[in-house]
Amino acid sequence: MPIVELQNIRKVYDTKVAVEGLTLAIEPGTMFGLLGPNGSGKTSSIRMMIGMTVPDSGTVRLFDKPFARTSLNRVGYLPEERGLYKKMKVLDQLVFLGQLHGLDEATARKRSLAWCERMEISEAIAKKTEELSKGMQQKIQFIAALLHEPDLIIMDEPFSGLDPVNATLLMDTLVALRGEGKAILFSTHRMDQVEKLCDAIALISRGKLLLSGGMREIKSRYPRNRVQVVFTGDDSFLRHSGVAEAKNYSGIAEIKLHDEAAAQQILAEAVERGTHINRFEVMEPTLEEIFIENVRASFGDAEAGGRVDA
Amino acid sequence: MHNVWLIAKREYLERVRTKGFLIATVLIPLLMGALVFGSAYMGSKSKTSSHIAVVTSDSVLGSDLKHQLEGSKENDMQVDVSTPSDDTRAALDVQLHAKSSSLAGYLWVTPAAGDRPTFTYTARSAGDIATQEAIESALHSVLMREHLEAKGMAGSEIDALVAPVKIDTSASGNSTAAFFAAYTLFFLMYMVIMLYGMNTARSIIEEKTSRVFEVLLATIKPEELLAGKILGVGAVGLTQIGLWMIAAFALSSSSLASGLVGTGHGLISTAQIGFFVMYFLFGFLLYSSVAAALGAMTNSEQELQQLNMFLVLPLAFCMVMLFSIIRAPNSTMARVVSLIPFCSPLLMNFRISLTQVPAWEIWLSIVLMSATIFAILWVSSRIYRVGILMYGKKPNLPEILRWLKYS
Repeated sequence: MPIVELQNIRKVYDTKVAVEGLTLAIEPGTMFGLLGPNGSGKTSSIRMMIGMTVPDSGTVRLFDKPFARTSLNRVGYLPEERGLYKKMKVLDQLVFLGQLHGLDEATARKRSLAWCERMEISEAIAKKTEELSKGMQQKIQFIAALLHEPDLIIMDEPFSGLDPVNATLLMDTLVALRGEGKAILFSTHRMDQVEKLCDAIALISRGKLLLSGGMREIKSRYPRNRVQVVFTGDDSFLRHSGVAEAKNYSGIAEIKLHDEAAAQQILAEAVERGTHINRFEVMEPTLEEIFIENVRASFGDAEAGGRVDA
Repeated sequence: MHNVWLIAKREYLERVRTKGFLIATVLIPLLMGALVFGSAYMGSKSKTSSHIAVVTSDSVLGSDLKHQLEGSKENDMQVDVSTPSDDTRAALDVQLHAKSSSLAGYLWVTPAAGDRPTFTYTARSAGDIATQEAIESALHSVLMREHLEAKGMAGSEIDALVAPVKIDTSASGNSTAAFFAAYTLFFLMYMVIMLYGMNTARSIIEEKTSRVFEVLLATIKPEELLAGKILGVGAVGLTQIGLWMIAAFALSSSSLASGLVGTGHGLISTAQIGFFVMYFLFGFLLYSSVAAALGAMTNSEQELQQLNMFLVLPLAFCMVMLFSIIRAPNSTMARVVSLIPFCSPLLMNFRISLTQVPAWEIWLSIVLMSATIFAILWVSSRIYRVGILMYGKKPNLPEILRWLKYS
């Protein structure tokens, strides 16, 4: 039973097509990465998921039912542009937002305090939001999205502007929530985070879905045709017929193969010729490479340079 | 409804807790009181007190005029009477231009054969209207008195004749009070709309700039947000006015105030108070929802200022209409105008205090006002959603219908 199901949704603003025929599903207990360059329709898609805007065509299903506002109490949302009441005290603010999501005041207060402790911002509880640092405000907003224990957590760029310590804290929290069986969707430009965290991804560009699926499955679609070799001695194995392209940075070679199978032959040949191999690694394509390759293709190579922002 | 209540509660508490609210609640009535009582006090003390000279050969006229100007109720002038001679005018002119002299002007009486004499007044400053008017009215009463005496009437008879006429309205008892109430309502409403209507708009804009709305809209509908804002900011306004009213009531029941302002008690009936409160609330909600619509349309204070007139114009229109309704409260125009939702709060209430308004007109005005409030809220919540979430696209009718179905 998918938590979120988008079926062929389309959204047009005036003359700009924001989302075109997007179909995707998110299962419970998965961490889903929504990827795409700037202006590709990530936020538009998210807004349609939570009923802030309505698709021109196509259907949105939440929790295996057609979209209804009552489902929203089971959704936690962290918008890309953070916003809190500046003059309000942190605790009051959290309690207020918790109540809006259907909690009673006592529960909201209790959970706010517990979460503040968990996110290591207990000292900020009595302060006004405007007195806090940007990172702290972001943590508060993060808490606000989770207070009502939503089954679907949607976060638009959750780690932007956070230092590594806090980013890790947030990531660990999200991983723990996934362990509890929640579905988590987040959008980001940071491929390393996606690679580390996500079980499934969808890559969109110019409003269209370029690829989607499980992380392993997507990666397996791309050939493991790159090899990194650290060696000393004879470098003639780099001219093996299976090598499409080779760069030798004095002892560290990056090789691109015509075919995955050639890797073992090359290793055998190198050893045979007496080259001393320190390390021989067949590398799988990074998500970043997949991202850039796909987005470039979607824009057409000519204009890709300036537009792609990975 | 629960969400509307939450939004309203937050808005109310956050606003009432600020220092600004406390200061405004205490300071504004203090300043208003100082202004009202101060000007009343100044008004009661201010009599024309110029120093003038009267040049006349008629000594009776001279002394009567002196008596009238120096001792009467509204005048406290200093009058020198002299008889015309060759150098009087020159001497007076010198005095008039001398800095050390306090002479404000001189009145030259030129006798005319058998008829009224002619009067020439030369003033130090041409703008001294108060003195000139005082002299005119004094002359008028002195001349009339002289004329009547010449016809053989006794002093007491003349007094009785010139005594001002007063009409006793205590039996029906409410025309002054009705007027007073209508005017009070008008200015209260005006003040409240200026102070709090704009606050509603501002609070909506504030949420747009701080981007809080996106979190809010992920759980609640725009119309709930706007309705909560109107009620919350409105409740702050009503709290403040309530406090002021209590203060004003406490003041006006004190002997000091009734001595100065001179209004009695029990002139307004309970029914009128009921209508006053009802129309006040309706007017308040109506104009707040207009302000909410303005807030929904704009993105900054500056833009909002430019749209201010949408609040002020209907009020100005009511002000203009007030005067023709006083004359004919049951004319077709008065009835039509008082049914316009934007005018009903002021004008229908005003008519109710002036005349017998049929019940159906009152009900119709209530229905129209409620419908207008909901219509404005509905439209502005659409504008709000489109304004913040779309990239400048104006909604067309089918889209609006789709939204209606969806949310």
